[in-house]
Amino acid sequence: MNFKEIVELIEKVAELGIAEVEIEQAGTKLRIQGKESPSPVMPATFAVPQAAVAAVPAPAAPPQLPAAPPQEEESDAGLHIITSPIVGTFYRSPNPESDAFVTVGDHVSKGKVLCIIEAMKLMNEIESDIDGEIVKVFPQNGQPVEYGEQLFAVRI
Amino acid sequence: MVNISKVLIANRGEIALRVILACKEMGLRTVAVHSEADRDALHVRYADEDVCIGPAPSRQSYLSISSIIAAAEITGADAIHPGYGFLAENAHFAEIANECRLTFIGPSPEAIRLMGDKAKAREMAKKSGVPILPGSEGPVRTHMEAIEVSRTIGFPVILKAAAGGGGRGMRICDAESDLQGAFDTARSEAERAFGSADVYVEKYLEHPRHIEIQIFGDHHGRIAALGERECSIQRRHQKLIEESPSPVITEELRQQMGEAAVRLCRAVNYVNAGTIEFLFQDGQFYFMEMNTRIQVEHPVTELVTAMDLVKEQIRVASGEPLSAPPTPFHLRGHAMEFRINAEDPVTFAPNPGRIREFNCPGGPGVRVDTAAYRDYVIPPHYDSMIAKLIVYGKDREESIARGRRALDLFIIEGVKTSIPLHRKILDDPRFIRGDISTRFMEEFEW
Repeated sequence: MNFKEIVELIEKVAELGIAEVEIEQAGTKLRIQGKESPSPVMPATFAVPQAAVAAVPAPAAPPQLPAAPPQEEESDAGLHIITSPIVGTFYRSPNPESDAFVTVGDHVSKGKVLCIIEAMKLMNEIESDIDGEIVKVFPQNGQPVEYGEQLFAVRI
Repeated sequence: MVNISKVLIANRGEIALRVILACKEMGLRTVAVHSEADRDALHVRYADEDVCIGPAPSRQSYLSISSIIAAAEITGADAIHPGYGFLAENAHFAEIANECRLTFIGPSPEAIRLMGDKAKAREMAKKSGVPILPGSEGPVRTHMEAIEVSRTIGFPVILKAAAGGGGRGMRICDAESDLQGAFDTARSEAERAFGSADVYVEKYLEHPRHIEIQIFGDHHGRIAALGERECSIQRRHQKLIEESPSPVITEELRQQMGEAAVRLCRAVNYVNAGTIEFLFQDGQFYFMEMNTRIQVEHPVTELVTAMDLVKEQIRVASGEPLSAPPTPFHLRGHAMEFRINAEDPVTFAPNPGRIREFNCPGGPGVRVDTAAYRDYVIPPHYDSMIAKLIVYGKDREESIARGRRALDLFIIEGVKTSIPLHRKILDDPRFIRGDISTRFMEEFEW
């Protein structure tokens, strides 16, 4: 789901006077609540960083998304985010037959290869820059990623 | 014929937007690539897809060939438009794009490489019977050689870096006594800036006019000259105002210069948009250099030829024949472009920051090419040009009148701009008479 689609969805919710809608699609969960509802709008974690929720300008009709939404499940505070240093395609394992380099819950040390980002037929190994526990893997296997895109959340 | 359905624009700012607009009109999908500093850029918002390719510094983003090619790969783009500046005249980039089966919207890598070498380009011009300034045959290796050439052609002379361009890597010498020092400095500067110490010697004209010819080649062997642009109003080799037609170019000269430009392009099998720059003085024109890309001031030509040059670039790249300009070919009306830079109009110090008010002028004969908008924060990492104001009138007098009222109503607040400077130039009697040369800005007073 990209930024444009999210905004269109918000406008539709407002236009139709919908109280609440929740959508889950390919690793992205989105819940939108209409203006009249008591609780604040809380989008779940996004895998697409450039569509930063905080940057959404107020659409013609509310609801508005707050700048720093509180998270229901877990706080990103205190987590170290590893971002992509290059543009390419994200792969969780060295090849389709192997296991993933890391999974959620694994403890990694600095220098451990976490994933491969493939660009122009070159397999770039992305190493952890910190010791810690993998708590989140953001992109799907085979998903294109851009420079600065969130890859892993590590609890130090 | 090559199918182009998704174009990646390897550039930023107003030219990236310009290319996206042409693509939208042609029903082509667009991919914008951008640095982290350009997340809120207009070209990123208007494109169908966007990919962040690196941090703010150009070297790690807009000049990063691997990032740009990777972005084309992951988005499935089938063509790349390089814009101007950045990688537009990088033959290596064009080569890699071709190798990755991406259509590079521009000339061949060979043509880029050849014409990018200033000394070789001079040689090609000479072979094609295009007048060149008297000078050395290729680079001068020793300071004795430089002296000998200078004695033959007469002072003043200019030393130019063979791998340079855009006004960089040049040294003027008025007499033999200047030459030794200038030669050594020019060589070491050239080495450092362009990776090659080669310099050549050329006769230096004291009050030339900068007149360039827009050319266009296609894959069917057709090359057309689309008239001239006069770009004499420049400061430190950066153009400020461009116009077409030039006040001093007659129909006959236009034809001669056009034919010379086409001859040169044919000699290098040139395809797509390009510009041949000439110096013009005392009724004579001399080849200076060739730019193997679309230029900043292309709108000036678009208005007097009623052509869309960017669409033409895309069409030609996909194998279609060049749209015929009408025969007989005449420029219609007069167009003038003012480069609006975010800089102090008096000191020329760059002035990035947040634009608080942005109101573009409109009305008859007014065109604004810009990627700026109200609340936009101009990043400090790139060049300072934020808009181009282009006016069109039935003649030069009307262009100037339109330019005056358009500049008066171009409201940009929050940053200083060159608008007051342009406004002042339009009141200068010499400018109004068309009595200008590349020395104009040196002599211009507030």
